[in-house]
Amino acid sequence: MLTVENVSKTFSTPGGQVQALKDISLSVKTGEFVSIIGKSGSGKSTLLSILGALDNPTTGSIVVDDTQINKLSGGSQTKYRANKIGFVFQQYNLIPNLTALENVMLALEFGGYPANSRLDRAIQLLESVGIEEDQQQRRPTRLSGGQQQRVSIARALANQPAYILADEPTGNLDSATGKKIFDLLHDLSRSQKTTIIVVTHDLEIAGKTDRTFTLQDGKITTK
Amino acid sequence: MNVVTRGIKNATRSPLKSGAIVLMFAVSIALILSMLVARGSVLTKINDLKATTGTAIAIAPAGVQGGQGGGDLLTTDQVATIKNTANVSSITSTLTDQMITSDTNLTSSLQLGGFGQRQARTDTSTSSTGTTRPAPTPRINVTGTTDVNSISTDGSALKLTSGSTIDANGTGLVALVGSSLASKNNLSTGSTFTAYGQTVTVSGIYSTGNTFQDSGVIMPLSTVQTLTGQAGAISSVKATVNTSDNVSSTVAALKTALSGKADITSQAETAAASVSSLQGIANLTFAGVIGSAAAGALIIILAMFLVVRERRREIGVIKAIGGSSGKVIAQFTIEGLTLTVIGAVTGLILGVFVSGPMTTSLVSSSQSTSTTASTTGRGGAGFGGAVRGGFSQLGTNVTQVTASLTPQIFLSAIGITLLIALLGSAIPAWLTSRVRPAEVLRTE
Repeated sequence: MLTVENVSKTFSTPGGQVQALKDISLSVKTGEFVSIIGKSGSGKSTLLSILGALDNPTTGSIVVDDTQINKLSGGSQTKYRANKIGFVFQQYNLIPNLTALENVMLALEFGGYPANSRLDRAIQLLESVGIEEDQQQRRPTRLSGGQQQRVSIARALANQPAYILADEPTGNLDSATGKKIFDLLHDLSRSQKTTIIVVTHDLEIAGKTDRTFTLQDGKITTK
Repeated sequence: MNVVTRGIKNATRSPLKSGAIVLMFAVSIALILSMLVARGSVLTKINDLKATTGTAIAIAPAGVQGGQGGGDLLTTDQVATIKNTANVSSITSTLTDQMITSDTNLTSSLQLGGFGQRQARTDTSTSSTGTTRPAPTPRINVTGTTDVNSISTDGSALKLTSGSTIDANGTGLVALVGSSLASKNNLSTGSTFTAYGQTVTVSGIYSTGNTFQDSGVIMPLSTVQTLTGQAGAISSVKATVNTSDNVSSTVAALKTALSGKADITSQAETAAASVSSLQGIANLTFAGVIGSAAAGALIIILAMFLVVRERRREIGVIKAIGGSSGKVIAQFTIEGLTLTVIGAVTGLILGVFVSGPMTTSLVSSSQSTSTTASTTGRGGAGFGGAVRGGFSQLGTNVTQVTASLTPQIFLSAIGITLLIALLGSAIPAWLTSRVRPAEVLRTE
């Protein structure tokens, strides 16, 4: 269970204070597949960052499975991300110097997975998202956008997280590939009871999720 | 793949960039090593020079040299002044005289030879009164000393071939006789001979290997002073200074204290110019070590700052997927260390080849300048020639400086290198790892 209560976030910019989130409150049940939609600059990515403890809210609280994550220390938030959260980014954000296999093994290392079984686990994950053996040894630059996003999803799943936070996971993909990626996330949600929160501007994708939150100027307008 | 292999792999991800960093760092390491080697060699040479020149100061009455010249002998008060001068640890006083046939029943073991004939020509010339002096005969050198070992020609204790030594600070009518003179006059331990109208007993026979010295007689200083009627007179003093570093200042103090009444010389003074120029090189190389180390540190720090700066997004991703700040710092430190180690090994190899010629070049150049300045400054044909000769010898010694690469120097170079690498890579990584991941991912 993930609960957000009265969360606001203000950034200091050279032009003055900018309030990205205004008194946001919402809750997501375990195993739910929800989407957050809104225009560019509406605060979607900021909210996702706060849910994943990549950033702290200015005010308010985020409680995940009885733990108020915004009160955790930097080190504890890192552990929280390693064990409970899987991130999928629009830009994939794979480490360019590492192969697809090594990128997945990196997440396993951070999650404390035993060193001697990381390789098998990484291969299994990559196969489960449709990355073939020869592709597993390639660096990200030698993979297509869709393949990179699949590797990114395999990396996000590495430590069997309770939550997957995906920031526009299909934003850089053509519609056919985007649909495949969405279906992959949807299947995960159903088969592994993983809670998935997807930020998107694609209303068609949002329409297929269990619930949709709409953000406008930092406020939730529909749930 | 763990953090170590990841760090090493990252170091070689961009061969061109890594190669440039390695090359720049290698040059600075080669310079550090060369400067350390040059400094080590020069300091060793300075110590060698100081040890060679010793701590002895020779003091003789002004105008007297080698039994020739003119002037007054040193007095008891002057000797006391020498003894009480700061840093003088001990003195040996000597009074020399020459016995002619009327003074002794001994026959000199020296032959006049060509050198003697030349002196004979001078001594037998007609005097201003028109009388002709008698032809000279070889004289017998008598040395009164407070330390018989001062007669030794190689600085060690005087070697006795028979008998026992004398109490040089006593007043007895005893003597040590040179082996040549003893042989010429059939003297042995216990024999007696006449000197200045007194009977002197042979206490022992000595041998130095020097024909002139082995043709003389050594007696206690007081005995010679009494026999020759020169109470309290001293013809030369050898003062020993406590450390070689104090020789120059002690010479200056003695010159002031004796106010021109004595000629004071020490090898240390002659070597001072060389030591000074070598010290200059040592200081220069020390500045070079610091400069090269600073340049190396700056290269690594700036390079790693740039590397970390352009990979802020990667650091943000690592932290987003659960990598701790410690892992980030460790990865970049290992990356920096890898570049440093490659650069250091290249630099050390380069340094081994460069340090020898560089040291020789530095020393030769400095010595050449020193010699030129000295000869130009002093001028004069005869004296200048002597000075040139002395400096030529010192110059020969100095150019023998060799580039010695000791384990200590190697360890110093490696220590400096590792310190640079650790600071250069850990600091920028630490600074970046403190940034919140969202901030990095948002801005990059």
